[in-house]
Amino acid sequence: MAKALVLMMCPVGIAVTLLVRYARAIPVGPATRGDAPERLLRWAAGLLSAQREEWGQAMLGELDHIDGQGRRWRFAVGCAGAALLLAPWGRTAAAAWAMAAVAVGAAGVYAAVTVRYRLGIGGWVWAVIELLFLVSFTLAVATLLRRPGVALPGLFGGLLVTLAWLALSGFTFYGVIAPVTAPWSPLLAEVGVPVLVGVVGTLWAGSAVAGRRIARLAAVSAGLSLYLYRTIAVAVLGAGGPPGTPGWTAGQNVSDRLGSNVVFDLVVIPLVTATIGWAAAAATARIRPGLAASVVSVPLTAAVPAGAPSRDPATRLPEAGPAIRARSWRRTAWLLLLSAGVATAVFLAVASGLRG
Amino acid sequence: MQRNRPPSAQAISVLRALAADPAQWRYGYDLSAEVHLKSGSLYPMLVRLADRGLLETSWEPGQGSRPPRHLYRLSLAGREYVAGLPAARADRAIPRPRNRWSEA
Repeated sequence: MAKALVLMMCPVGIAVTLLVRYARAIPVGPATRGDAPERLLRWAAGLLSAQREEWGQAMLGELDHIDGQGRRWRFAVGCAGAALLLAPWGRTAAAAWAMAAVAVGAAGVYAAVTVRYRLGIGGWVWAVIELLFLVSFTLAVATLLRRPGVALPGLFGGLLVTLAWLALSGFTFYGVIAPVTAPWSPLLAEVGVPVLVGVVGTLWAGSAVAGRRIARLAAVSAGLSLYLYRTIAVAVLGAGGPPGTPGWTAGQNVSDRLGSNVVFDLVVIPLVTATIGWAAAAATARIRPGLAASVVSVPLTAAVPAGAPSRDPATRLPEAGPAIRARSWRRTAWLLLLSAGVATAVFLAVASGLRG
Repeated sequence: MQRNRPPSAQAISVLRALAADPAQWRYGYDLSAEVHLKSGSLYPMLVRLADRGLLETSWEPGQGSRPPRHLYRLSLAGREYVAGLPAARADRAIPRPRNRWSEA
């Protein structure tokens, strides 16, 4: 019950943190529409490498001249997708491909087990849910990897979280399927390691913003890695290994283990790790104010390039201006609270299901 | 190492649209509407064409507090490239308009 409460508090904590952050944001710089498409596009433009920064400004400048919510949304979503995938990625491309390979591998093993044990329609429904999670995680990893100074500490943090959970199971397939019974294990894996990742990540990157992103990347990459490991464990052990539920068939036990993997590795571990790591990063920045940094976003400038159009790339970029904060933060706050409410309801349902 | 693959049919349609009046600077959104490409396809294409030196880019000063706007036109190399393309059939030069989703 205590664990379910901790889980429920995670999305609420995230919502409150974001709410406070948005509420403190003071609109500065030139007036812009500040609507959701613009915020989406500014976020996506922030993913572009330094060489492509000009193109992010180009997309934002064009969006400002488009009227109609539908058109603005379509333009912003298209540009955001382009910004997400636009090269160059540098060395982070290798990490993104590696995490994508982990996700594909996990999906493949899951499908093979579903076919092998003939899990039927229910098994394939779970497979679709699992696939949605894996696609979301891969996109999240790709997004976070593009942030400056996040890739290496984030992946290292993910490795640390993964090793902590595997250490609790003795690095055996049997152990990762059997329930963890050591009373100190939740304190170490669910709190201690995420705190370590958040604090060290913030100190390493020298910024609270980067520290929070490092915690998120660690959470997502650890979730993917653990999920692959546990799915392979189910495939190898099948209905063997730890005793299953009495009276159940082999297929039912395998299906139950696969479902537990989805919930535990793709929901519980990433959520808890990200939330606690995020809190640790924020606390570190509060203790050391020099690390606190404002929200990083692509500035939407009103500055103009001097003179006639130039062919010289060095003179084409507009000068960077002050960052624009969203004026419509109230709407965002309400959306966040709504999302937190929905997330809480989902977790209540999951917790109820897990209890029986 | 930069790859120099031949431009796609969509990229060629963008080049041809720009070649209609090579001296005129064009906006990205107007280009996407003219060649019926979504923004998610158009901008990566513009990036690649600019990288290959086929496009010139510039900025139009913003009015008041509005941000500046990016402009595009063919470079000299771009004009020569389009001049060297085989004459396009009328039905292939520009993709057919689709539903309203293609506006962006």
